[in-house]
Amino acid sequence: MADTTFAGTDLPRRAEIEIDEQEVNRRKQFLEFRADDAEALKSLEPIAEQYADPVIEDLYRHFLSFDETGGFFRDPKVLERVKRLQREYFVRLTEGDYGADYVRNRLGIGTVHERIDLAPKWYLGAYSFYLRAVATRLLEAFGKEPQKAFSAFLSLMKLVFLDIGLAVETYIAARDRTMRKQQEAIRELSTPVLQIRDRLLLLPIIGVIDTHRARLITESLLRSIRANRARVVVMDVTGVATVDSKVAQHILQAVAAARLMGASVIVTGLSSNVAQSLVALGIDLGTLNTAGDLQGGIEDAERILGYRVVRAAETGRGPQLAERR
Amino acid sequence: MTGHLSEPLRACLPVREELDIVLARTCARELARRGGFPDAATEAAATAISEVARNIIVHAGMGEILLEVVKERGRRELVVLACDRGPGIPDLDRAMLDGYSTAGGLGLGLSSARRLMDEFHVVSRVGKGTVVTMKKWAA
Repeated sequence: MADTTFAGTDLPRRAEIEIDEQEVNRRKQFLEFRADDAEALKSLEPIAEQYADPVIEDLYRHFLSFDETGGFFRDPKVLERVKRLQREYFVRLTEGDYGADYVRNRLGIGTVHERIDLAPKWYLGAYSFYLRAVATRLLEAFGKEPQKAFSAFLSLMKLVFLDIGLAVETYIAARDRTMRKQQEAIRELSTPVLQIRDRLLLLPIIGVIDTHRARLITESLLRSIRANRARVVVMDVTGVATVDSKVAQHILQAVAAARLMGASVIVTGLSSNVAQSLVALGIDLGTLNTAGDLQGGIEDAERILGYRVVRAAETGRGPQLAERR
Repeated sequence: MTGHLSEPLRACLPVREELDIVLARTCARELARRGGFPDAATEAAATAISEVARNIIVHAGMGEILLEVVKERGRRELVVLACDRGPGIPDLDRAMLDGYSTAGGLGLGLSSARRLMDEFHVVSRVGKGTVVTMKKWAA
């Protein structure tokens, strides 16, 4: 398995693009890239070696003449290095053996470009430049046999399109990865369980409750109940815009689980519209303790726990504290 | 006669994953707001859309939701079409009952959506798909 699956180098594990041998072959079939194409490309190797430097010089002159692409190569050392890598890329097109190593190499190159934030439009534009530059050189090299030059060019085009496909996928994979990360981050950040008094927890829920997040909320709630030996939890859903039957189910399950852990839950912050929707949903909420707003919920909870909150003035402790309230 | 509002208030949304449910709700809210719907009606419609969108994902995997605010008989209506090419609903009467679920939910999806909306209609063909048409009146 390990040697038939290649992944882009340096990609974080979760978003690795995995392209197995079968998939590579399938792509080649679709591109009609056959053994004779590989042979034809291989026979171009001496020409590629000969023309690599002038083609690459042209390419970078082109890059440098545009701000959007030239900006990446202002540092002469960087320019030197990328030119060397570009030369490797170029020559690799004619080295044959377009299998596992080749695909891994190409995915790696796509990743590098994605990482420096080179937009695909420039990346693809560079391919166009490449193909045209090479076409001219091929015609030149084959001299009186333009037919051969053309046929070799077609083989090269198939391979370049294989490369382009891989490169585009690395861009998409990176985007997907970023989005997944952001979603994760939002989910993780938005499920705090706060202790507001001994044995009293506050669980403010904001945003969308989907299945995954509902599980996270329930987990962290139960963990906190245990850790704080909580007896009452105030679950505030002011920040939940819509409570549909699925969300209601999630809430009811969290409440039931909390109850099994010995904590009762008071749900607060149901807006009038949500309340009306819940009635229309026909969900049995008779088992749910609710309070009109967060303050009411906390007051109810304090009552259950035997707290009595009084203004400092009433206890005769002096006016400063009373004013601070 | 169906007369449109001055600007076409309509949207067509793909439904493939849970996030799309949120997008469909958000879009419905925005359309309803621009169509001048009261908050309660807007929220009821958003909740009903949630239910039918979730049904699409759970049962069909993917589908579409079309939303449009139209003026009919002098009244503004939010028209919702939820379509999929899923397995269809073999027993529509039972599916409309509270608590009937084939997917482990509360079994309130369709019946709730019907209660939340002013008009509700389902057409389903086994093996072909399902179209839910529902309307919420502005007043």
